[in-house]
Amino acid sequence: MATTTATITISSTDLLTDELALSSTASLTTAGTSTGVTQASGLSRKTTSAASAAVIQASVLYRSADYTANGANKVYIKNASTTPAEFFTVQIDQEVIGRLYAGDWMFMPWIATSGTKETFVVSATGTVAAGDSWDFDGVTTVSADANLNNFAAAVNAKTYPNWTTAVSSAAVTFTARYAGAAGVVTGTTAITGDTVTDLADSNFTMPITSGAAGTRSESDITVKPSVHTEMTYECMLIHE
Amino acid sequence: MATTTAAVTLTSDLLSDNMSVTASTTCMKAGTTADGLDQMEYGLVEIATGDQFDLICSTPTASKGTKLYVKNHSVDETYYVEVMIDAQDIGRLYGGDWMFIPADFHDANADIEITALTGTNKIEYALFHEGTALTAS
Repeated sequence: MATTTATITISSTDLLTDELALSSTASLTTAGTSTGVTQASGLSRKTTSAASAAVIQASVLYRSADYTANGANKVYIKNASTTPAEFFTVQIDQEVIGRLYAGDWMFMPWIATSGTKETFVVSATGTVAAGDSWDFDGVTTVSADANLNNFAAAVNAKTYPNWTTAVSSAAVTFTARYAGAAGVVTGTTAITGDTVTDLADSNFTMPITSGAAGTRSESDITVKPSVHTEMTYECMLIHE
Repeated sequence: MATTTAAVTLTSDLLSDNMSVTASTTCMKAGTTADGLDQMEYGLVEIATGDQFDLICSTPTASKGTKLYVKNHSVDETYYVEVMIDAQDIGRLYGGDWMFIPADFHDANADIEITALTGTNKIEYALFHEGTALTAS
């Protein structure tokens, strides 16, 4: 079993009348057990910058949908900048946790409450011909023959930037990689941004046959720099 | 000026190579390098399971260099507290876990809230801050 420990030491000789020396070591375990956590995203370091102060954007450090909710996840973040007045505002969803000034670090548990992912099913319908194609999410699939199931399998075989897929006969199920209400699908209304090319004019279509809207995650971790000039942070996630 | 330092060491044999991350910061007032945080609250409370209350009862000055340390002293690993800010769930501190965060009391609702679950949890906390809006008696 992996052993991961987190030790904090807070000390001061002049804050109180007596010396302050507070120290604690936690063995990081999975929720409600004495079994050590088994996964970690490595320590990463990133420098942020923007063209101007008006266009500073928050960066998503960790998306809830990628991790186990209600676990004993821990997040470490450090502001590696050296200019005292510069800070990162750390947020969980819409709530500000606090400001990390230059050199400051934080270590906190993370609930990782995810939303739900949008999903929809498209079905290859009509008569497909070799050369017909369907384009979605910037990925084009071209039919090699006149078989609808083969075309659906070809659609499923592609890799999509924002979606994962599964296939059953002529139906392909798309599931968003991230939870959210992106509005690509609501109920059974047609997806936006897809294009069918029906070379043989044989009524080949890729209609959506079912779907469900998603909901946004409620505990993504974001950091927003206070200045548009370069600032650097380090972070790591230890999770279940 | 008071000098208070907070250091963390994270070690693990989880990866192929041993991991050791250390960081230390001197707790300063917001945006300064010469003026350390000079006020603190320190306490230890027992919270019965199901009870929810504000861990920080006063209102430290908003958007400053405030730092909050919380530790769950429960020895039963199934005991935990849920930590929330303004009803936003942050995470769970299980028995033995601790956290250290900047705290931004940006409005009256941005309290640090604790809910104990599965048993009576003993919680230690320390708040280092720049000033507090004291409640008149």
